Amino acid sequence: MRDLFYDLVKRNGMAVSIYLMVAVSLWVFLLIILPQLTMLDYSFRFNLPPGKIGGPEDVYTLDQYRYFFQGSGSSGGLNTLDIGILFKTLMSAVFVTVFDLLICYPVAFVLAKSSTGAKARLLVLALIVPYWINEILRAFAFRILFGSTGVINEVGMGLGLFDSPVDFIREDVALYAGLAYAYILLMIFPLYNAIESLDRNQIEAAQDMGANWWQVHSKVVIPYAKPGIASGMTMVFMLTAGALAAPQILGGPSNLWFTQLVYQWFNSGGNWPRGSAYAMILLVVCIALVLLTMRIFKVSIGEIKR
Amino acid sequence: MTFAGVGTFMTKEISLEHVWVEFGEFTAVQKANLNIAGGEFFSFLGPSGCGKTTLLRCISGFQEPTRGLVKIGGKDMKGVGPNKRPTALIFQNLALFPLRSVADNISFPLEVRGVDKKTRRKRADELLELIALPGQGDKKVSELSGGQKQRVAIARALAVEPDILLLDEPLSALDLKLRQHMRTELRAIQKQVGLTFIYITHDQGEALTMSDRIAVMNKGKIEQIGDGKTIYDHPSTSFVASFVGENNVLEGTVLTNDGKMMQIDAGLGTLFHVESHPAGGPALAPGDACQLFVRPEALKIAKSDNSLNQFETRFVTEEFEGNMRHIVLDAQGKKLKLSLINDGTHSIGASAPVKLDFAPALGIALKPGELASA
Amino acid sequence: MKIKSPTAVIPGIYLALFFAYLFGPLIIMVITAFNSSNFPRVSPWECFTTDWFGKLVADDKLIEGLGNSLLIGVGVVAVAIPIGLAAAIMLSQVGPRLRASLYTIFIAPILVPGVVIGLSTLIFWDRIGTFFNAPYESFFYDGTFLTIFGQVTFIAAYSMLVFLSRIQRFDTTLTEAALDMGATPTQAFVKVLLPFMAPAIGSATVLAFLASLENYNTTVFTIVSSSTFTTVLSSKVRYGLDPSISAVAVIIISITLIGAIIYECRNRYHSKGWSLVVAERPVLKVATHPGSVAAVLGLLAIGAVLFIQNHDSSACTAQILEDKRAIQQKLMEQQSLDTPAVTPAPTTPKLGPLGGEDTGGTSAPSPFGGNAGSIFSPENLSGSAGSTPSTSDAPTSPPSSGVGGIFAPENLTGSGAN
Repeated sequence: MRDLFYDLVKRNGMAVSIYLMVAVSLWVFLLIILPQLTMLDYSFRFNLPPGKIGGPEDVYTLDQYRYFFQGSGSSGGLNTLDIGILFKTLMSAVFVTVFDLLICYPVAFVLAKSSTGAKARLLVLALIVPYWINEILRAFAFRILFGSTGVINEVGMGLGLFDSPVDFIREDVALYAGLAYAYILLMIFPLYNAIESLDRNQIEAAQDMGANWWQVHSKVVIPYAKPGIASGMTMVFMLTAGALAAPQILGGPSNLWFTQLVYQWFNSGGNWPRGSAYAMILLVVCIALVLLTMRIFKVSIGEIKR
Repeated sequence: MTFAGVGTFMTKEISLEHVWVEFGEFTAVQKANLNIAGGEFFSFLGPSGCGKTTLLRCISGFQEPTRGLVKIGGKDMKGVGPNKRPTALIFQNLALFPLRSVADNISFPLEVRGVDKKTRRKRADELLELIALPGQGDKKVSELSGGQKQRVAIARALAVEPDILLLDEPLSALDLKLRQHMRTELRAIQKQVGLTFIYITHDQGEALTMSDRIAVMNKGKIEQIGDGKTIYDHPSTSFVASFVGENNVLEGTVLTNDGKMMQIDAGLGTLFHVESHPAGGPALAPGDACQLFVRPEALKIAKSDNSLNQFETRFVTEEFEGNMRHIVLDAQGKKLKLSLINDGTHSIGASAPVKLDFAPALGIALKPGELASA
Repeated sequence: MKIKSPTAVIPGIYLALFFAYLFGPLIIMVITAFNSSNFPRVSPWECFTTDWFGKLVADDKLIEGLGNSLLIGVGVVAVAIPIGLAAAIMLSQVGPRLRASLYTIFIAPILVPGVVIGLSTLIFWDRIGTFFNAPYESFFYDGTFLTIFGQVTFIAAYSMLVFLSRIQRFDTTLTEAALDMGATPTQAFVKVLLPFMAPAIGSATVLAFLASLENYNTTVFTIVSSSTFTTVLSSKVRYGLDPSISAVAVIIISITLIGAIIYECRNRYHSKGWSLVVAERPVLKVATHPGSVAAVLGLLAIGAVLFIQNHDSSACTAQILEDKRAIQQKLMEQQSLDTPAVTPAPTTPKLGPLGGEDTGGTSAPSPFGGNAGSIFSPENLSGSAGSTPSTSDAPTSPPSSGVGGIFAPENLTGSGAN
């Protein structure tokens, strides 16, 4: 720390270095690390009324985590509902991530390799514009689209695909479509950046040596774009698993997203420690899953950039 | 270009005393010891990564030596930042500020010293006049050609009124013609201003044509210091011999050494007679292994059958360079290069053996050491 | 050899489909803002109306939320931009090993779910407030401050990424040149590095402000009892679907498009090719200046606002109402003739809304069968979750449409759709 500061002073002078150190320290400690630690601490406590906090009953406990696994009963049965919700949330997030990757890869490739100059810039702008529109409104648009009297049902019935309206909300179709839509940009840009830096000659050389289009992608482009793919997938997965607005608006009546559980314990349940425990569970499980996947695909965390 | 009246330039000498620079395990500069006189044009020559830029950064103040002293004008520079040293550095990429106009670039040193705007502009215009770019002060840097940028960088450095001008391979980005032109120009500027110039380069042509003295560096060590002629004719290490100019190298053994003349067996069936020279590194004793260097232009096609240092080779191939003919020959499995002026007199055929010789004064025998990679 | 003709069109078709997915939902949402139907829909088309915009302006909660959002946005920019800049500069100056670990810390807030950030911010400042025995009115418990802290946590990271991509192109020898020529380190920072970063500061500011404005996941925790534009919008959506929300979208999309068009015009205007084209044509030069483009768009926007204020669709809506009454009348007559059994819901939706007169929204609007509110109703959890959260956050599912209501056929066809 002292060496770092000394180094900074030498390069930037005292005034600037103090600004750098203060700004970064405030951010890292006051906004990032300490709140997380406090939440971690909180998750190991009982839910006590304000008067008893700090009192003799305010001791550490695993109760909040035990609840996630066993429910309220002491019988030792599993809390299948909450565990199921976590599992479903993760599986859905994986599904949405893979779906986004599949639809975004061709777009990123065409954008990076076939478009140049003004056309490419316009296409990129067209990608960004929907992203500037409020998350809530984007979810709302999908509600309109997938409602029982929404456009999809009207068109589907008009074409005779189905003769009664399909409850897309209940089937979670609207939720998946909306989530995939919400984070498309975070998938496209890492892919685009990675593919764009690939020398076009490499693709042409591969074609020249007789590779067909599938081999060009599987043997040249995808290995090269792996860091981009990894960071896009990490981003989309984390944001999807941590989404709250879309599940609240688009989620089916009997299907909860794990973040909604956190929200409930926190807001309506009034049980902050349990909310904290659930948030920690979400965080840890998500990070573990991401790290595990990166291990499997041999991508290091340092390669992840936006 | 004339620099009369551009400012008053003091010239100060520089001395490096046992300077070491270490980055963790890596030693970038070891035990650099040298004095540069005021008004001298001094070059550091070496391959990339040899530590010459690190040494320059020690002088300009961007790098503190791990050990040893840097003195400018007799004063120890320890703890004196680059902005407080009487040096001005011309960067390899020139480091002109792209967002500032030409005039604002040149007057930057005055701006940071709190000189008022009108004086600054006047001074910039004077300097522009002197680098033969009058009235171009409001242009953007990006609108200038490579050579013009070069001059602006010089003008900006001179605006500092430095005692020492440091140049870090400033010509490497230019094309060949312009580079050769700028060599002459730089030397002329230096002569006129009388400033101490310290010049960093990996291009021996630049070093040899411009410098009063040259320090050849390799792997952080100064191998030899001397004027161009000494460095070229009497290298003191194998590295210098092979790095500066082209050289043929033969491995051999010293048979006799009387302090003036050595006899060397290089396994070519001939006993080579080579002069020993005081500048040519540590003396070799009989029985010592040695490397014998003979430059391509020092080799001659033997005129008689019994000349000194004669040996037999076979023609392999010829590289034609217009004014010169470079002939590759084979001497018992050893490839040698022979350079001849293309004056139409020599005919070398593929069939017959070619007999070569060289004058004893032009052979250089040195202790075996690391050779510069081609 | 590549076979060109049939395969060459595939990327084009794919891109077209992709952009349809991207823009389709937005376009449909925009259309619904102008349909007089009480439920946001494209068909059946009732009347062209601009009344939903009027309803919006009269929505005090939304306006208040917008005010809070703008305030928070300004606060977030003011804090996050200096932090992001400092972080990027620091990363660019430290050694590779320290850089890797710092980068991991700095990037973490982007990957950590917003819910977690919101929650931890709330708990942390609550703890600090308790520690200092701060009164409840102090900033430790103030939604605006907490939201700024919470949002800055990750928006600073976004802006850091913007700065980082710019600073990577910075030639550090420029700073060294400045130092060498006698500038103090501070002077070098202010006169060389900062001007170079200026464009990035601009774009990071826009990005940070927009990110703050649209954030929900973190804000919904940290805002406490106050509200922002997005949280108001969210509760509106969950409370019931209403075309005035589409009207919000129309306004935001318009602003976005205007911004994008001006941005693109600016780029084209400053491009080399275009400056050659307009060099000889002063009229064209003025006409394509981003300022004049902005002025034209501004006039169009004012025109649109005036049109919205003055358009009157009451005659048409009255007619529609009349028609619905007639249809319902007929249906009721028909029903009384049929067996009194309940008509299975799915067969009727083509008929559109029944209960036309029931416009007040007294019953919960649940056009999808699944009531948005009921998702959160406590009964849903109680089955196996043991301890039930005591109060439902669900903004209000009125008793008439509890969990059971989901399955009631009337709900599908019925009242709610209106």
